[in-house]
Amino acid sequence: MEEYAREPCPWRIVDDCGGAFTMGAIGGALFQSIKGFRNAPSGMNKRFVGSLMAIKQRSPIIAGNFAVWGGMFSTIDCTLVHFRHKEDPWNSIISGAATGGILAARNGVPAMAGSAIIGGVLLALIEGIGILFTRLSAEQFKPPTLVPEDPSQLGPPPTLAESRNYS
Amino acid sequence: MTSIINDFHAKILGDKEKATPSATENTLSSQVTSQPGLAPLSPYLNFDPSYLPASQPEFIFPEGAVKQRGRLELAFSQIGAACIIGAGLGGTSGFYKGIKATTLAGQTGNLRRTQLINHVMKHGSSLANTLGVISVMYSGFGVILSWARGTDDSINTLGAATATGMLFKSTSGLRKCASGGGIGFAIAAAYCLWNNRETLSQISHQRINPARK
Repeated sequence: MEEYAREPCPWRIVDDCGGAFTMGAIGGALFQSIKGFRNAPSGMNKRFVGSLMAIKQRSPIIAGNFAVWGGMFSTIDCTLVHFRHKEDPWNSIISGAATGGILAARNGVPAMAGSAIIGGVLLALIEGIGILFTRLSAEQFKPPTLVPEDPSQLGPPPTLAESRNYS
Repeated sequence: MTSIINDFHAKILGDKEKATPSATENTLSSQVTSQPGLAPLSPYLNFDPSYLPASQPEFIFPEGAVKQRGRLELAFSQIGAACIIGAGLGGTSGFYKGIKATTLAGQTGNLRRTQLINHVMKHGSSLANTLGVISVMYSGFGVILSWARGTDDSINTLGAATATGMLFKSTSGLRKCASGGGIGFAIAAAYCLWNNRETLSQISHQRINPARK
């Protein structure tokens, strides 16, 4: 976990919201351009127009949904940091589940539970992969173990009288 | 690197001056010792601390790095701020519109609550999306411009704002596109003038009275 690479806590919400919005905007634009291109009536010109219209109409909505997800997630994350006094993977998993639940609040309790489980599992996967990568990359920074030389070749340790002779 | 040493040195000297006033007698180079009467600690620590600017704060920057956050680092915060402000403003206006519409329609209770939530969500998300998309475009153009030109100044701001206005209105005709660019340019120009007002006032002072600095 790179806690030093991120903003401190209250501003992290704004930062994450913006990051999620950008991700949604760019990803949504790519996705919608393909979808609009395929769904448009035939003719190359019409296809490009359809692609453009799809980007214009749909990608802000996708970006907004991403931003809501990111902002809510970060808000709950910061709240948990405040109350638990620590930053660990459980924070992310709990806030992922809570975000999924809260954002599906208008669709009824079963939908909330489903979204919460999906959110929690998704964040658990992400955190797990992160920890796995940290473990793997930590291997190469391990200091090489020093093999002690065989002390039996050195002969017996000098007695007190011998060492006096040298000095 | 020097700022670390300076800071460290200032701290040591501060303690030293309290303990041994004789250390300050030698004004040009003060000997830093761990105890009075011993050999100095390091030749690098022997210099007059009055050369250190005490009034202004010192920051440590990596070698060759710019002394300001770049556009890419600021971009996400800007986009997020635009989104959140848009959501707040849009949500408030949607709330008012919803109250008006529901009282006109005579809806009460559960129905009214649901309608209010619908209004808030709809207006809030649409304004947040609009502002967010504008700031994504602006940040994108700003990052591209500063990367292409190698510097980060007011010209980047002006160019990015103009391009954003034109791109945002690019699908609704040439005239709208041009006016969008004009609006973007005007906002950016106002921001740049406000941001550089000290420099501008200095320039105008010098023009009136060249002898004055």
